[in-house]
Amino acid sequence: MNVNRRKKPASVNPLKIGQSLGAVLALQGCYRAMPLIHGSQGCSAFPKALLTRHFREPIAVQTSALQEMDVIFDANRNLEEALNLVLSKHRPDIIGIIGTELTDVAGVDYQTMLKTYKRERNMRGGLAFSVVLPDFRGSLESGYSATVEAMIDEMIQQAGHKGSRSVNTRQITLLPGSFLTPADVMELKEMIASFGFEAIALPDISTSLSGHLLTGFSPLTRGGVPLDSMLQSLQSGLTIAIGGSMERPARRLHNALGTPYKVFGGAMGLKASDELLYFLHQISGEPVPVRYCWQRENLLDTMLDAHFQFAGMSALAALEPDHLYSVSGWLTELGVEQKALIASYETPLVAGMDREIWIGDLDDAEVLGKGADLWISNSHGLAGAGRNGAAFMPAGFPVWSELGAYMSVSVGYRGALEWTNKAGNLLMQREAGRREDRIRHR
Amino acid sequence: MDPVRQDEFDSEACGSIAPKAKPCPRPKPGEAAGGCSFDGAQITLLPIMDAAHLVHGPIACAGNSWESRGTLSSGPSLSQYGFATDLTDSDIIFGGEKKLKESIDYIAGRFAPPAIFVYSTCVTALTGEDMDAVCKTAAERIGIPVIPVNSPGFVGSKNLGNRLAGDALLQYVIGTGEPEPGTPLGVNLIGEYNIAGEMWDIEKLMNSAGISVTSRITGDARYKEITWAHRAKVNMVVCSRALLGLAREMESRYGIPYFEGSFYGAKETTYSLRQMAYLMNDREMERRVDRLTEREEARLSQDLRPYRKLLKGKRAVLYTGGVKSWSVISALKELGVQVVGVGTNKSTEDDVRRIADRVGDDTEYIPEGGASRILKTVKERKADIMIAGGRNMYVAMKEQIPFIDINQERHKAYAGYEGVLRLAKELTYSLANPVWKLAASPAPWDREGPAYER
Ligand code: SF4
Repeated sequence: MNVNRRKKPASVNPLKIGQSLGAVLALQGCYRAMPLIHGSQGCSAFPKALLTRHFREPIAVQTSALQEMDVIFDANRNLEEALNLVLSKHRPDIIGIIGTELTDVAGVDYQTMLKTYKRERNMRGGLAFSVVLPDFRGSLESGYSATVEAMIDEMIQQAGHKGSRSVNTRQITLLPGSFLTPADVMELKEMIASFGFEAIALPDISTSLSGHLLTGFSPLTRGGVPLDSMLQSLQSGLTIAIGGSMERPARRLHNALGTPYKVFGGAMGLKASDELLYFLHQISGEPVPVRYCWQRENLLDTMLDAHFQFAGMSALAALEPDHLYSVSGWLTELGVEQKALIASYETPLVAGMDREIWIGDLDDAEVLGKGADLWISNSHGLAGAGRNGAAFMPAGFPVWSELGAYMSVSVGYRGALEWTNKAGNLLMQREAGRREDRIRHR
Repeated sequence: MDPVRQDEFDSEACGSIAPKAKPCPRPKPGEAAGGCSFDGAQITLLPIMDAAHLVHGPIACAGNSWESRGTLSSGPSLSQYGFATDLTDSDIIFGGEKKLKESIDYIAGRFAPPAIFVYSTCVTALTGEDMDAVCKTAAERIGIPVIPVNSPGFVGSKNLGNRLAGDALLQYVIGTGEPEPGTPLGVNLIGEYNIAGEMWDIEKLMNSAGISVTSRITGDARYKEITWAHRAKVNMVVCSRALLGLAREMESRYGIPYFEGSFYGAKETTYSLRQMAYLMNDREMERRVDRLTEREEARLSQDLRPYRKLLKGKRAVLYTGGVKSWSVISALKELGVQVVGVGTNKSTEDDVRRIADRVGDDTEYIPEGGASRILKTVKERKADIMIAGGRNMYVAMKEQIPFIDINQERHKAYAGYEGVLRLAKELTYSLANPVWKLAASPAPWDREGPAYER
């Protein structure tokens, strides 16, 4: 309802993350995939290092390794070389070519090049697509959803000439937003499956970045949704998208194949979980499984226990837009005052919230959120939270100050319960710390 | 041991200051790994802790890289702030110079740093902005140094970026200030970035031998101390070929002798301290160093005894991506660890020669090829442990290979005598961890073999 920006020329302690990182993340959720960043080598080394640090997993990504002269003369020669090498050496099932600001500013046309390349090599069986993601627009979230969209486009084209579609009404395509952890995606798949549906997540980081051990190392992605499942997903009777940013890919499926879709802004907190489960109950005609009834009770009990802790407390959250929307809803249910809500960039979802939203960075969080008791942001916020004396709760991306961030659940009743306890504990610890301080200084 | 100084000029462009005919090898598309020159420039300059570091470009260059290094500060933390001009579409079309100028003014006004470093990135270099001019007029306007660092990612490797950052220091910083009267003059430490606090261990050692540090270039440095680096008596280049050019240039400009040394391993540490005292031309100091190093070495060998027993004969593959290879080998050898494979991907010919001096004939050189190539060596040479940078840490975990992180993101300091002991402990903890056995044994239901068929 109310979107603001603080006036300042520079970004101080950025919250925004390059779009291309989001694209790399999306491709990690596909089996035997290789994201190929069309840019200088730093543009792939940084995302690789950052994703590795967050997920504590090796990350598959390659670069066309542009150097100054390549950019000026013939950047696509590098891309072709990279494609040749990656294809012959690793034989990936899926290649996503990610254009950067560098190729964008230099005006490199790699879409046409890729088309010719595919025609000349007679590339069949695999999936190769490109997506333009300069870093001076959007953030991680938009890069991720644009990549999923491009992937779906390519799938539709490939399947297009294979004749008519037979709809499988027992199969649902799940489009999980970029803010969901591997454990979240797993939880959502289970929820959908518990109503008797076959769920195909697109992409599926729950089986690739969740820390499974015994698969050995591969330069390509391990785990994730395999190509045949991806193509099979085109037969789904329904698409469920989680996060406003996933509406466009869902719409793409609808426009091309007529697949109906339902978008959930989020799935965090009591009400959002209620909505999701009620919807699944309605479309399946199945009763809500007992374990979710139990979990709902557990959550309500936890909220009762915790409400003493949250009474009179205030919080700030600085996150990617969809995530911010979810977290804000959860905070509302706890009765916590929301001192400042900061998004990395503006999207219709956050613009439509009936709360004041700021587009900004972690420095804005520090200034606007002064006095907040709880600070929710990625690990970059640790220092600012310290300076403000707020309890720090790492969330979003990247999180390196805590083990197991990628396995924490935020969706469903279970997720709300986990978050409520975690936040409550942080506030309790902070209070205890302060009491100790007072004793010492007397 | 290597001669103190090699007078024949290096032919590798990566190590010398003037770009030579033979450039750093071109990274291979589809097979390249490693950071860009912008990354390298930041590695060199970010440890100047009280300065502001402003990245001029779209968000990702800064957004994906800030707070990613383990360089520690004993006080100011401004360099840990992520400053970026965060260019948008319209800035690209209409030019980002205005935004850059405003950003510099904003940072100067709000944070009052002693200096601002401004980094160009690929896009701002490509659109042909005159960053130098903007910095120059800004410096005049706001009255503090504003230093352009022209090291956009696409000019080359991380190594080249280190070198370009060195150039910026030479051109804009060193020689622009004077130490306060009475400051004891001693050694500049070049290329030591205080990762995990290593600089502090080194300084403690130097101080106990009565050697003072004049300028830290740049671990835990303050801007001011670098401005008077030209008053030092000796330059030590701490196993960083990229900044050798800086030392060379300081020798020819200011007559400061330099040597290359390392603090990994007791022997190298002793050698480095001795070189300092020798080049300071102070007999008394040399005697002090002798006494100190003897005492420290004796104590270390006592402390190491229990670990040596466990580590003897263990086999390691070392992949540190560059210059650290040869210096870490010495430390490992002192612990009785056999280096059966070593990465030479970013090493110069000189480095490779030094590596060869230190390892046996049956050590495999790993020129390039990333994770799969390293793993192959680990398997073929039956290594017990892998020592590499954080990028490869989880590759090792996937294959259940004990691992030690040796690069800039790590949290353990391995320099000096203390560092050798710490390295010994870390190696032992890693190798002896119960997890390896647990992970290698199957679940009980998978263990049940076809009992009767045996
Ligand atoms: S390669 Fe260029 S655009 Fe990419 S991170 Fe490095 S400086 Fe930035």
